[in-house]
Amino acid sequence: MRKVLGRVVPAAIPLVVFMVGMEWLVRVGWIKAFLVPPPSAVFNTLLRDWRELFTALAKTSAGALAGFALGTVGGIAIGVFLSSSRAIQRAFYPYAVFFQTVPIIAIAPLLVIWFGYGMRTVVASAFIVSIFPVIANTLSGLLSTDPALRDLFRLYGASNSATLWKLRFPAALPQILTGLRIAGGLAVIGAIVGEFIGGQGLGSVVDVARTQQRTDKVFAAVLLASALGLALFGFINLLSRVLLRRWHASEQD
Amino acid sequence: MSFQRRTFLKLLPATGFLAACSKSSSKIRLALNWKPDPEFGGFYAADFAKHGLDVELLPGGSGTPTVQMIGAGSAEFGIIQADELLLARARGNDVVALYAAFQNCPTAIMAHASRKLETIADLLKSGTLALESGLPFARMLKKKYGFDSVKIVPSPGGDLTTFLNDENFAQQCFLTAEPLQAKRKGVEVKVFPVSDIGYNPYTTVLAVSGELLRKNPELAKNMVTAVREGWRAYLDNPASANQKMHGLNPSMELASFAEIAEAQKPLLETSLLGKMTTERWSTLAAQLLELGDIPKAPPAAECFREL
Repeated sequence: MRKVLGRVVPAAIPLVVFMVGMEWLVRVGWIKAFLVPPPSAVFNTLLRDWRELFTALAKTSAGALAGFALGTVGGIAIGVFLSSSRAIQRAFYPYAVFFQTVPIIAIAPLLVIWFGYGMRTVVASAFIVSIFPVIANTLSGLLSTDPALRDLFRLYGASNSATLWKLRFPAALPQILTGLRIAGGLAVIGAIVGEFIGGQGLGSVVDVARTQQRTDKVFAAVLLASALGLALFGFINLLSRVLLRRWHASEQD
Repeated sequence: MSFQRRTFLKLLPATGFLAACSKSSSKIRLALNWKPDPEFGGFYAADFAKHGLDVELLPGGSGTPTVQMIGAGSAEFGIIQADELLLARARGNDVVALYAAFQNCPTAIMAHASRKLETIADLLKSGTLALESGLPFARMLKKKYGFDSVKIVPSPGGDLTTFLNDENFAQQCFLTAEPLQAKRKGVEVKVFPVSDIGYNPYTTVLAVSGELLRKNPELAKNMVTAVREGWRAYLDNPASANQKMHGLNPSMELASFAEIAEAQKPLLETSLLGKMTTERWSTLAAQLLELGDIPKAPPAAECFREL
């Protein structure tokens, strides 16, 4: 219990100070409520419109998770493929970088034309933004295997695939998981951008609330999107702990 | 620049607040809610200097929150739609209308003529309809006819790709813009103005914050005079202003500027040139009240000022 408190309290202090400060600034009129809503208005909206907001959150979660899952599987597969030879890397890595530099907001309208309105556009958008960090981190992890261990494997005549699955991949896991942490947050952003154009979930709620000048609702939806990002982050940390606990310094107390 | 700005504004309606924190110049800023096009012809034709004004026109884009920018002071004047103003006032943003360029709302829905639709009600019986579902007219449509048998998707802005490729796709449009474009691409369209369902807010309205109006009524008066003369000039001869706007918005062809300037004339109702009435504002307020968009109807006299 003490341990939990010790962790939660330091993180909660800035939040409480910020909320109280915002509320106060709006109440005394330094910040106009139609520009930045007071936290109390945002919470009221969360309570009043919870059904609509949580239905939207469920949709956004589904889209973001699907895009993230595809990005993870695809990113790791591509990372492994790229690590197999220098020549392949030279040939394909620049195209992987391309995905990172795609301004998703600019091509989102095209996604609608290619994939139609709805979930597929949202998933595609989340996928495009989340795949690159996974590729980059997988590749970098696979390429930084301890040379001494690699020599040991070679000395014992281990096959390429045995070296990959028993040595290089496990050794790359910490970096791959870092890639997933980055990709998780990006997937939520990608999903919401997709929803602006594809029309569903929190993105759509934000879009509609904005035209109605409901800043309180915009912020309520943004809050839920952040919560989704945090949850995803927490899940990857948990995964990381399970996978690395027994051997990697980063997950040992 | 314009793209980044647009995206940013769309994502963060509170940007106006940040801008308000920076030091404002002596220039008078007029925030537009779209790129330079004939809809703003009168503003580009206006000779502000003649009335002692140094005015900078700020082009906007999809979702530029001009009404919030006026309230935040990041622009002294802005172009808004009458319904936006009522929503803003209901949320404590004191914004006042000064000049209504479009007497009739140019918002419409267009569908392929080949579908042989007679009314908006027919249009809502099948296919897909792209609109900004947060807008009052959209919710009025929903309330009146229901959206049970039509698929509602977000508006693609001015993009026609899906429309041109899908016969059963209808979309929200500007009476004077997309239908002409579709025709040029060889698609015959049927256009339904939203005023058909009795929803007709003043559009492309010059507005100012109540605070500025109280502090500097002279400035507002000069602004309105310059704008009125600008529209008069644009209606008589749009060529030079069109040239200017084409320079700022080269993706729109000069011929389109001329075509639209001609097509929008009936919506401007030149005899009134900017005038607004208490009846129109009251009707609109009552409609928004019925939709539940505003908790109570503000007195119409508060919403606009004749200068």
